[in-house]
Amino acid sequence: MITNTIVETESPEEFIEEIEKAQDCLPKKIDANPKTVEKGLAKLVLTLIELIRKLLEKQAMRRVDAGSLSEEEIEKVGETLMKLENKMDELKEIFGLKDEELNLNLGPLGDLM
Amino acid sequence: MKLYLYGIIDSSGQIKQSIYGLEGAGVYNIPFCDIGAAVSEICRPPQDITEDAVLEHESIVEKLMADFTVLPVRFQTVIEGRDNLLSMMRSYYKDFKDNMERLHNKFEFGIKVIWPADKIKENIIKALKKEKKLDLDSSSGKRFMKEKFEKYKIDKEFEAKADKFIIVMDIFFSKFAVEKKNKKLKTENLLLDAVYLVEKDKERNFREAFEHVKSSRPDFKYLFSGPWPAYNFVVLSKKPGLFRDSEQADLLDKVIKDQILVGADSI
Repeated sequence: MITNTIVETESPEEFIEEIEKAQDCLPKKIDANPKTVEKGLAKLVLTLIELIRKLLEKQAMRRVDAGSLSEEEIEKVGETLMKLENKMDELKEIFGLKDEELNLNLGPLGDLM
Repeated sequence: MKLYLYGIIDSSGQIKQSIYGLEGAGVYNIPFCDIGAAVSEICRPPQDITEDAVLEHESIVEKLMADFTVLPVRFQTVIEGRDNLLSMMRSYYKDFKDNMERLHNKFEFGIKVIWPADKIKENIIKALKKEKKLDLDSSSGKRFMKEKFEKYKIDKEFEAKADKFIIVMDIFFSKFAVEKKNKKLKTENLLLDAVYLVEKDKERNFREAFEHVKSSRPDFKYLFSGPWPAYNFVVLSKKPGLFRDSEQADLLDKVIKDQILVGADSI
């Protein structure tokens, strides 16, 4: 039906799979159901905490990479980040959330994480 | 009366081609000043997103492109009545004109590239193993940091390699494109998902550039698509134009919110 437009590839299945994978990260619809409102709210809050946790972790890694943390500081930061990650895992389990669900689509800005 | 909108065109005259739209209704132009809206009448908005309906929409926009500069609108854009459509045209007239000028005689091409992510990561890990490791004793905090740091280094190197490949590919594509939108690593394997705006007379050069890139990295997989209407390059400032009318300023937003929209970049 399309007149001049072409879609050329030698690996259509692989592209379909990757495009679906990229789209599956985000739900197609918002699940605004009174029964799941608690989970929805938890998802939003945990997404924001996860973002902050990842930023902290990245910043710590940058500082380790730059050699600007002492052994003692590395131990302290490591302990803190480990506890935070464990707590997040517990909360995710309580609310039945998977890692890939903790994301937000910011429209033209793309995904939060 | 519901109007299914296919696009805004740079003419207030009649559409001379016989084009049949969704539900088999004729596509016609509703003029506003020197531009127009290509529409057909429908009884009810399409409920399902089917491949046939999307392709039909696309083929109509392409037929319009043969005679006009078209600002394509998203699949399933339905406006309630002629008055609402004209209000929207009035509010966004200046935006539409600016876009038409920018997109005149230009097409959109899509390029997606898959790279062997596993193999690339494997090579990175091998190379990093040779480097000096973080020398930390076995306390839990330090062990945690060591594991995270190793992963961080792999990810950092992986991203750097992706950037390197994309920069090189983009040099070839950008030579014949006037605008572009690139997305890096949407998934680990999908190295590049890009759209380029190309002048009609540069189409051949652009295709040749693509073939050149393709042959220089035969271990990558490529998807080339186009020419498409410039779905990803229509920019609305959301400021009403021509006449100041604050009540109409958000009409397009309202129209859009009332509809189910499909992301144009999903094409």
